[in-house]
Amino acid sequence: MSFMEIKQGIIVAQGLRKQFGDVVAVNNVSLSIGQGELFGLLGPNGSGKTTMIKMLTGQIRPTSGSATVLGLDVKKDPIGVRERVGIIPEQETPPSFLSATEYLDFVGEVRHIPDVQKLGDWWFDFLDFGDKRDVLCKDLSRGTRQKLMFTQAFIHKPTLALIDEPLINFDPIMQRKVKDYLTEYVKRGNTIFISTHILEIAEEICSGFAILHKGKLLYTGTVAELKERDQHLDDFFLSLVEKDGHV
Amino acid sequence: MVMFKLFTNMMKEEWRVHSTMFGSLSFALFPVMIFGIAFMGSFLLPLFRAVVPPGYLAIIIHAMFLLLGIMVGGFGLLGMEVMNRRFGQASLLSYSARSLPISEQEIFCTFVVKDTVYYMILWVLPVVAGFAFASPFIAVPLSLPLLLLLTLTLAFLTGLALIFFLSTVYSRSKQVLGVLLVIMAIGWAALSLYTGIGPAALFPPLQLFYTFSWSTLLVACAVVIIPSAIAVLLFTSECADTTKRFKNALVPLTKKLSFFPFPPLAAKDIIDLLRSGSFIGQTLFSFLIPLGLLWFLLSVLARFLPPGDILLLFAILTGVIASTMYTWLTMFDSFSSYTCLPVSVPSLLKSKMCSFAVLQAIPAALIVFVSLASGGAGFLAPALVLCLSVSFYALAVTVWLTGLSPSVLVYDARVLLTYLLAVGVALVVLIVLAFVNPIYALLSALLFLPAWLLVKASYAKWDMQDQPWF
Repeated sequence: MSFMEIKQGIIVAQGLRKQFGDVVAVNNVSLSIGQGELFGLLGPNGSGKTTMIKMLTGQIRPTSGSATVLGLDVKKDPIGVRERVGIIPEQETPPSFLSATEYLDFVGEVRHIPDVQKLGDWWFDFLDFGDKRDVLCKDLSRGTRQKLMFTQAFIHKPTLALIDEPLINFDPIMQRKVKDYLTEYVKRGNTIFISTHILEIAEEICSGFAILHKGKLLYTGTVAELKERDQHLDDFFLSLVEKDGHV
Repeated sequence: MVMFKLFTNMMKEEWRVHSTMFGSLSFALFPVMIFGIAFMGSFLLPLFRAVVPPGYLAIIIHAMFLLLGIMVGGFGLLGMEVMNRRFGQASLLSYSARSLPISEQEIFCTFVVKDTVYYMILWVLPVVAGFAFASPFIAVPLSLPLLLLLTLTLAFLTGLALIFFLSTVYSRSKQVLGVLLVIMAIGWAALSLYTGIGPAALFPPLQLFYTFSWSTLLVACAVVIIPSAIAVLLFTSECADTTKRFKNALVPLTKKLSFFPFPPLAAKDIIDLLRSGSFIGQTLFSFLIPLGLLWFLLSVLARFLPPGDILLLFAILTGVIASTMYTWLTMFDSFSSYTCLPVSVPSLLKSKMCSFAVLQAIPAALIVFVSLASGGAGFLAPALVLCLSVSFYALAVTVWLTGLSPSVLVYDARVLLTYLLAVGVALVVLIVLAFVNPIYALLSALLFLPAWLLVKASYAKWDMQDQPWF
């Protein structure tokens, strides 16, 4: 199945633009991501990746353009979007004064997940942080907070997850585990959209990718296409952003 | 040279922390505002002297500066935590400088000096300057503000030194801190009994203010220098483990609060309040102490106003202060925690206002208590209605102007001005009505209508805006 064939518009963005004062964070970006993809949005720091994820999940409103996620308009129904997807924000910010268990229960209540405690137990065990379940989130290490945020994003078994820098706080063992989990997850017909500046991750696990630089979309394609051309993602990425005037 | 560089950068950093929170211009005007308040407040001194026992005002102002020192020191030590909650990921020089070839003692020492200089400029100097400028008009010799400059500085530094010393001990051992606090309390009480001097008057800066002597000055300086020196010498960045484990309180609380529109959000609010220590801390420092002070100030008016009017005035002002309880519910609750969940801004606002409504039991209880204790039981109903109407109206104005970020946005000059106008006009009308006839105070219940309209407008307003990321 080729990249074009699997496109069924799980995420469709048309001319998305976000401006903060005089700064254009995302400039006229159009994207289409199909079901079953593990799609990587790549770009240097400050290229607009986080802004893009925030717009696609209805956390901030686009200045112009439109986007649908799972068929829902992110402007008109941001809560509907967030009900259906899993989100891991760039900054791991679980509430300071809830314990890890309480946070998952809180997520369960808000998302109306009936067996959240049982599901939570599975995740505590899978990500190996069961010994921290009664510790307040403010006292957790960044890696453990990331595990907790990973859990809250997948605990309701969404068909689409949007993850900002998925592995940034994990140790190598956990990185392997999470990469395997994500790969298996998309094999089951789900879709994952990740943003990262770590190209090795994208090259290893992503099927499709896009390169964002200074808010502009420079390229959209597949890792397989690059392999066919015998190109490495990091060389390709660097040549593109340098052409676009990256210092 | 390195320490001086670190000092200047810490000063810049402290300024930028405040100006980021409150806006550059608003914050630059802060010392000017303090100066103005001190200057104008000085003209009330003759009035206070007539009703307050001699020396009482000196105790209050020295206690306030001692408390200021404690709070500044506490904020300095908790700065990273506060910044992280407010701005997401933040780092302060006192932490990041640890990666530089400077000893931790030097960093801590610079931090102490920075806090001393910065807050002297921000608080102590404007207060004393305001008093000094007013002194010729109120027949106070200029030597008094000069003495006050010395004693208030010492009171502030005592608070700062005390908190640094105690926090250093705490970072070494919680048990030793407990023992030390008990010894200090017993020692203070014993000294008071032995000398026959009131415990407050034993405070060296206050003694110095009452009767200047070089030996008292030496003692007051020693009380600052010795704990500070010990704190610097014993300073360690490795804190005693403070990680606590908690039983799951969210699930049972959510069940108990099932009558709320959003039970898990309400349960989370309560847990935040209790575990952050805000409930007791804010009730005491942001509610009861300011209102105690207010009652004391209003009692000055007893010569001009009937007791019933004073009670109604107190109820109105209690309502205004009670409306700030909304910030108790939002200050530890970053919106970023909700961005990955299907929770809308109007839902959050609704939930916070429901929790706020529950907290209004505190001002209501206070008004009942004050009405009964002051012999104004006949004014209880209008006072209660006034207090709660004003509180909910001021809350609605706050929500409309600041959404979920009142503690940050209220320092925006335009927001503050609009708030003052919207609330001020209503207050003036209510005061006039209540003074004409206490029964008219019941008309304040009409404020619920504009409050309701404002809240409805707020839902639409804040739902359409990107939430500020603090």
